[in-house]
Amino acid sequence: MWSKRREDELPQQPQRPAGVPAPPAQPTVETQRREPQTMSSPSRTFEPETPSTRGGSAALGKNVTVKGQIFAREDLTIDGEVEGTVECQEHRLTIGPNARVQAGLKAREIIIHGSIQGNVDATDKIDIKKEAKLVGDIKTSRIVIEDGAYFKGSIDISKVASGKPAQAPAPQPSPAAAPPTSPTPASTVVK
Amino acid sequence: MRFGVQKETPAKTPGKGLPSAVTRQSSGFEQFCSTLRSKEGLSILDMSGASQANISFITGMGHRISSDDIVGTMQECFGADFLEAQQAPSLAQRFLDQTLTFPDEFFDGALVWDALQLLTSPLLEHTVEQLLRVLRPNGQMLVFFNADEKAKQIPVYNYRIQDQKTLLQTPRPGTSFQRSQFFNNRSLEKLFQKAASVKFFLTRDHLREVIVRR
Repeated sequence: MWSKRREDELPQQPQRPAGVPAPPAQPTVETQRREPQTMSSPSRTFEPETPSTRGGSAALGKNVTVKGQIFAREDLTIDGEVEGTVECQEHRLTIGPNARVQAGLKAREIIIHGSIQGNVDATDKIDIKKEAKLVGDIKTSRIVIEDGAYFKGSIDISKVASGKPAQAPAPQPSPAAAPPTSPTPASTVVK
Repeated sequence: MRFGVQKETPAKTPGKGLPSAVTRQSSGFEQFCSTLRSKEGLSILDMSGASQANISFITGMGHRISSDDIVGTMQECFGADFLEAQQAPSLAQRFLDQTLTFPDEFFDGALVWDALQLLTSPLLEHTVEQLLRVLRPNGQMLVFFNADEKAKQIPVYNYRIQDQKTLLQTPRPGTSFQRSQFFNNRSLEKLFQKAASVKFFLTRDHLREVIVRR
């Protein structure tokens, strides 16, 4: 009787809207996240920005070192050491102040507080804060760079299809301007 | 001929002992911009470090910009004994290894600003050689030299582009250097003797503006 009741309840748990596909079978290295989490950060002082935590976000704490490829289908914050490549297509990538990244980065939006050596490709916007250090080439639609930031490399502004001026930095990115987020479950893959 | 006009901007006054930030009309930059207006998709090198104003201005005209902070690299390589350290071959080589590490004929234009006047011979000549190497034929660079013959200390500025003939000069903290040599027109012609042409612009604010065309 107990077990029968549980079986009746279980199928109701996901309650996905119509048309939303079921999540694919997860490889062992893939982690699903609904809430902001850190993989390891005992005394972290840097917190990811609030808007990024709403739709699911992952974070690599300052004591984490990753060598290899990172693919994220959610917002990602890196405050540790990464060597390789990082891809957050359609999502925001934040490089925290403690981060030391030697990698090529690709994302919709990239916010840099820490140190990066590698090329950076953001389809929407790159925001380089004053404490950031970036050595590498940038390709983006819009760029905001604070005075005091160290940057060595080239900047290639890709023209926006709508024809509006690509280089003009928007003071506050409008949430409506962001492409609709995919209904697929948030996940981060580290290879 | 236009003369540079210097105007104080009190809101930007830096700390004690530093000169104020000033906006100035630059005939040299105006000339540089005429080339930027004539074509699209040029590659421009800005040697004043990364700034939003310069990046927006250059990319807004449809060009590609590369940033490099040459004065920052000098400070990092030569430290406190700025002029003496340049004579040390290992330090001079370290500076050259970190600066202008671009392929030949990579840029259509270079905004060098006032960095060259901080270098001493033979590093100065090596750096000019490197600048000419990374410029395409007919490419041009804009260089500023302090023209106050009596000045013993030279303030160094960050240059932020306001429009096609206006620059905002902000003093770089901790970068007032003892003058190594005074550059007059004759010495500049000699320095850039391998260039196709050298054009001088007179200003009233002790700044000699030079357009060098490869």
